[in-house]
Amino acid sequence: MTAAPKTLEVTIERTIAAPPSEVYDAWLDPTVPGTPWSEADKLVLNPTVDGLFYWLTRGTPHYGRFTHAERGSRLQHTWMSPNTLGLESTVTVTFKKKGDGTVMTLVHSGLPDTNQGKGHEGGWNYFMGNFEKHFAAAPARTH
Amino acid sequence: MDQLSNVLTAISHPSRRAIIQQLSRGPARFLDVAEPFDTALNAVTKHLKLLERAGLIERERRGREVFISFRAAPLKDVAQYVHHYERFWNERLDTFQQYFTDRKKKEKRK
Repeated sequence: MTAAPKTLEVTIERTIAAPPSEVYDAWLDPTVPGTPWSEADKLVLNPTVDGLFYWLTRGTPHYGRFTHAERGSRLQHTWMSPNTLGLESTVTVTFKKKGDGTVMTLVHSGLPDTNQGKGHEGGWNYFMGNFEKHFAAAPARTH
Repeated sequence: MDQLSNVLTAISHPSRRAIIQQLSRGPARFLDVAEPFDTALNAVTKHLKLLERAGLIERERRGREVFISFRAAPLKDVAQYVHHYERFWNERLDTFQQYFTDRKKKEKRK
């Protein structure tokens, strides 16, 4: 019997200068910069429970199924891409009112554990991609 | 310093990254490595020492000449330091947050 792969969770929090419902709607609007659906070469997005998405960006396909969609409160969907190494990970975004703004918390769970050597590829490719760009921006004569 | 700090220090300077870029195409002699720089040779020597300390280069004697080559393995330490999705979502949310901040500033100006 094969042991289940170890997974990890990434949590990111930001305070957004708009009320929760507005932030929720913007998060699902592919024209808003920074959303997971922006910069798409090809996009299929149906953000209702059991609706699917397909996001192709820079040649990398991402697939998922929405499992929770509560406007202004919580959005949850699965997430599969070459960087999840075949694992079906989960993205949960919660929106909480704080003053005039919204505290937005994104939890990406079920990710391959890079520290256990299971998912080096994703971080590695990403890093090397950035490294390449860094090189391109740093001429040899710069000192 | 621990190994990760050594690697981060080594890649923190544009000249050292340029050296890595050059060596990633294949081993080279010291003077070939130094050639693109308008700087003193001892500055290049110092850069090479830091790259060597990080394990990013190694020297190999071939006959009378010493060739310097690039080793990518230590960069994996850096890649593992921050998970792909930690970077991905941080960048996305920074952009998203900025979109609202900019919009609010524009509204105030009106």
